[in-house]
Amino acid sequence: MTEATPQLIQRLLWSRVSWRHARGAPWTTALLVLTLALGVAVYLSIRLANRAAIASFQNFTDVVTAESDGILLAPAGSLPESLLLELRERFADTAVHWVPVIESTAVEPGDGSQGMIGSRTTYTLLGVDWVALPNLARARHPEALPPTGAWTGGPPPAVSNPAVSNPAPHDAELGLRLEDPRRVFVPASVAARLKSPTLRLVIQEQLVELTIAGVIPEAPSQPKAPDNLLLFDLPALQALTGRTGQLDRIEFVLPEGPDRSARAAALRQDLGAWMNGRFLLSSSSDRRDNAATMTRAFRLNLTILSLLALLVGLMLVFQALDGAVVRRREEIAILRSLGVEPERIRRAWLLEAAALGLAGGLLGLLLGWLGAQGAVRGVGQTVNSLYYATAVRSASLDPVESASALALAIVASLLAGGWPARQAANTPPAQLIGRGRAQAGAPAPRWVLPASLILLVLGGALATLPALRLPGGSRISLAAYGSALSWLLGAGLLAGLLPPLLIRRCASWGGFSAPARLGLSHLRQPTGRHRLAIAGLVCAVAMTAGMAILVGSFDTTLRGWIERTFMADLYVSSEGAQSASTQNRIRPETWKALVAEPEVLAANVVQALELQLPGGSTLLFGGHPAFMRDQARIAWREAPADDAIWDARRNRGLALASESFSHRFRLHRGDTLTLPTPAGPRPITLVGIFSDYGNERGSLVIQREHFAEWFGDELATSLIVKLHDSDQAEAIRARWKAAHPGLAVYTQPHLRGEALRIFRQTFAITDALELIGIAVSVLGLGFTLASLLWERRNDLTTLRALGFRHSEIAWATTLESVLTALVGIGGGLVASLALGWLLIHRVNVQTFGWTLETDPPWGWMAGLSLAVVTMAALTGWSIGRWGAALPAEREE
Amino acid sequence: MSLSLLSWCLSRGSQCGRRGSALLWVCIILSGLAFPAKGTGATEAPPLAARRFALPQPGRVFTFPADHGSHPEFKIEWWYITGHLVSAEGQRHGFQATFFRRAGVTQPGNPAAGLERPSSLFGTDEFFLAHMAWLDVGTGTFRHEERLNRHGWDARADTRKLEVRNGNWSLKDLGPDAEGKTTLELRGGIQADLRWRMTLKAQKPLVVFGTNGVSRKAQEPSAASHYLTFSRLSVSGDLQRGSKTERVEGEAWMDHELSSSQLGQGQVGWDWACIQFFDGRELMAYRMRRDDGTTDAFSTLAWIGKDGRVTQWGPDRFRWTGEGQWKSPRSGGAYPATVLLSVPEPDGSPGPTLRLEPLCADQELSGGLGGVPYWEGACRVRDAQGNEIGRAFVEMTGYAGNLRRAL
Repeated sequence: MTEATPQLIQRLLWSRVSWRHARGAPWTTALLVLTLALGVAVYLSIRLANRAAIASFQNFTDVVTAESDGILLAPAGSLPESLLLELRERFADTAVHWVPVIESTAVEPGDGSQGMIGSRTTYTLLGVDWVALPNLARARHPEALPPTGAWTGGPPPAVSNPAVSNPAPHDAELGLRLEDPRRVFVPASVAARLKSPTLRLVIQEQLVELTIAGVIPEAPSQPKAPDNLLLFDLPALQALTGRTGQLDRIEFVLPEGPDRSARAAALRQDLGAWMNGRFLLSSSSDRRDNAATMTRAFRLNLTILSLLALLVGLMLVFQALDGAVVRRREEIAILRSLGVEPERIRRAWLLEAAALGLAGGLLGLLLGWLGAQGAVRGVGQTVNSLYYATAVRSASLDPVESASALALAIVASLLAGGWPARQAANTPPAQLIGRGRAQAGAPAPRWVLPASLILLVLGGALATLPALRLPGGSRISLAAYGSALSWLLGAGLLAGLLPPLLIRRCASWGGFSAPARLGLSHLRQPTGRHRLAIAGLVCAVAMTAGMAILVGSFDTTLRGWIERTFMADLYVSSEGAQSASTQNRIRPETWKALVAEPEVLAANVVQALELQLPGGSTLLFGGHPAFMRDQARIAWREAPADDAIWDARRNRGLALASESFSHRFRLHRGDTLTLPTPAGPRPITLVGIFSDYGNERGSLVIQREHFAEWFGDELATSLIVKLHDSDQAEAIRARWKAAHPGLAVYTQPHLRGEALRIFRQTFAITDALELIGIAVSVLGLGFTLASLLWERRNDLTTLRALGFRHSEIAWATTLESVLTALVGIGGGLVASLALGWLLIHRVNVQTFGWTLETDPPWGWMAGLSLAVVTMAALTGWSIGRWGAALPAEREE
Repeated sequence: MSLSLLSWCLSRGSQCGRRGSALLWVCIILSGLAFPAKGTGATEAPPLAARRFALPQPGRVFTFPADHGSHPEFKIEWWYITGHLVSAEGQRHGFQATFFRRAGVTQPGNPAAGLERPSSLFGTDEFFLAHMAWLDVGTGTFRHEERLNRHGWDARADTRKLEVRNGNWSLKDLGPDAEGKTTLELRGGIQADLRWRMTLKAQKPLVVFGTNGVSRKAQEPSAASHYLTFSRLSVSGDLQRGSKTERVEGEAWMDHELSSSQLGQGQVGWDWACIQFFDGRELMAYRMRRDDGTTDAFSTLAWIGKDGRVTQWGPDRFRWTGEGQWKSPRSGGAYPATVLLSVPEPDGSPGPTLRLEPLCADQELSGGLGGVPYWEGACRVRDAQGNEIGRAFVEMTGYAGNLRRAL
């Protein structure tokens, strides 16, 4: 006879107990796996979408240079191209290739209507010296790039589209390519979809018809050209964008050879000493890091939300495993009586939890990847609107993220299964004697009340802590998130104590209705499972309603801000202005002509550029403060103390700052800072802080004339126009649009609508999370009720024997379910108010620097409550019907 | 197949005079500019310009230092230095440094309609190609690099004196030294680990080849150049290899040629050589090869005496033959392994047969940037008895495939 080794016993336990039950109740098992998978899927899809959006940020020059050894940037505005002469002179003996770059954006023209902002693909236009490109290739990767001709002389490589694969005879190409600035190289994907060898684009505010000079060559050692990249000869793009003499950056590439990294380090050091603070020395990886930093707060918020969904899912796993312990208590007792040690039983349960986690995790990977394809568009749109241009369309299943999601699922399942496993291990064989006896209701353990109070107080204390400041200027409200977690747990625990108190008060409600009295009786002294179900509901409702309070308050605040801010008649920008990173601007000759139109009463010519300050990047605007005062109702956080800022003759050196700027750089009215400008450092004093919800990096506003003088730039980002006769706005819009097809001209109502739409789009992703939270919590309630009824199945037999009909038992269960849900909803709504406050007044202000009005969406919250109660009633009824039909002594 | 700027240029027709080397690239010169010859006399003055570019004019009076500099009125121009060096440790080297200038397709500063005038730092009016090559005779290592830039911040040539630059490579006239000798500074290198800075001093007077200041290359009167040469320059400088710097000294040859014209009909390639004899004399010869295998009538040989006096002879007085074969493993081109040059004496009497032996067989420039490979390398010169009597540089084009077809 074979001796029963520990391994054999463990295997037997798995096959005869855990696996048999899983097979015996496939739907329950599937539901559990699915629930866990949903939690994992939400987490993973958000992570994958985030990763895709970050990965889509690319230093486009890498496509033609591979990764350069460094990048010279201006702290603000453009670099003068004369800097190249200085570099060549200063580093005459250094073997290095300087690669000047100019970058812009463009879109394909629209149909002339006002249209949705951000709905069209933004192309990135990259200008590099076509003639010098082959030198780079030979310096770094002699095998990497095709011969010179690919850029300057030869025909474009063949693509499947005959429209662009039959260029003019190559002996005519060189001249055309270099002399005609409208020649462009495109990615193969663009070439393949074109119907003609031309491409019409809005560059700055002009409609330009480009001729396809060829397809961007690809090489194994270079990054693949993104689908939205268009490559120009540098001076051509300078001319097309009206930026002759300007560069956006100068990259440098060292030839391959011995000690390349040491040479690069030495050059960076020499450059640093030579620049003396005039320029910034960066790198491709720095730029990618910067993009990651910019979006860090946004991504972390999403990740935390997704983790909350996973948390709610885990509560469900906990409830389900706990229910399984209950159902299989007799079996465990038999095993114990047969001599199986408690530790082995505990391991068997943990193994079952881990298996559940693995199955849920694997399914979650699939669902998460599918969900990411949807989420990536939402995340991409938000990143596009707020941070930088991205054409990200899909998210790939990253192995690291997948592994972490799977590990999270297994570890979390083990944690969730820990307590039920211990319960199982501690089941005494004597349980066999009392089989079928339902778990009796009992007062909550003594530790619950003090623990919940401690958690609430801890949450309050955490809420007072400041945000964590990260390099690059971004902030994360870690303490506030800790506070939210404490409050959620505290509220959940506390709410579990409420049913006996409430039922005692409404004991008479049952009257002579036996089902009602039965239903109420179970809550008079609730079991731990009731309390758990209530806690789950509290968490889910609080999270969902708290988010709704934030979004509702944001909506109200933003509508007010939009109404106060957008009070002029017409808003003009380049039609290419589709996202936060758009570089399409309006040429001075165009905006000057518009400003001079007789219908114009007043105009605010707005210029903007990104500014690198010691604490991070921000945005500098040149505009007309007096116009802002006259044509908008600014909401001041700190109002200007005197009138100088409104007067162009007296406001040199004065600036207004947005609230985000103030929070980010910890500067207030009266504080001074130094602006780095091509004309040298300029000290400015902040004279007012205003509310602004346009970006989280902060904005500084100075008089446009000073801006133009300091940065040598007259290109306008937008033009805000007040007409003599506002009723003529639509007619004038049509006329201006006809005269300048490359301009986007918006009327006030349209722009207000677009601003709200973009805002709501950024919150769309939270809707899905809310729905998942609610669905999972109601499912949890269903699991709890099912466990309770299973425990009470002998009682149910007795009730039927006493004459209870199935429907009456179902009604009693429904009442129990609804009352449990009501307690959970009540607790959840109270907690949601606290959570809403936290999100609005701590997280939002700390992370984004935005002060919002608090405006809970009461109607929505009532609807949510009703929906949860209805779902609880339906769940209770269904499970009651199922429970009523259970046989008294059925072997599962 | 992607074709390069060079091959594009070539496709417009190919010039290439003796410094065919001046290469292929030179050939840039646009067949479109060709016009029918009105006569064939060697001294017949061609029209002033083929389209908008100047053509070499007989009797031109050169003015220095300006004429050492750039001549934008000509379509094509190059400064071409080849030399032999010995390091302080006794290692022997050969080097080549070439700067080409080629006019752009249109006049400078001609903005497209509605657009700003293009930046002067990214010109399209001129392009600059440069080659650097280095031979370490001891190890047999031959390295080269080429570079193409547009006129502007990273490449330019001064019109007032010789000062031409392409990236961090440059050639500059430092003016006469205390003895009145023209002094030049050459900065060059290959990739990151080989760099040199040399001072070159003219040891003999400047030579102007050709007849009445015009060097003819083909039947067509436009196929001509002004061909100025320092046939012997002393060289001293520093060679930096990695972190090690060595002193090098030796002698070099420098051509400066300006032209606006092209290869003649029927010409398929060229061979060229410059020889510096140990006795203080020099010899230059180029052979224009025709498609029927014969030597073109516009091939030339010139002696430069110790005193700088030049005597020139046509192809009927010298013979250029190859001996053996070296096949390039990269381009597949089959080049003569050794050149035998039968020359007349300066006084016209029958002279010796010179044997030009490469110091290293593989001195082929891959033409990666230009797309057309050619051989240009350091050679030793032996007499009929096998005595080494001088040093040479030899250039051979049109061996790697059919140059005409490539054009």
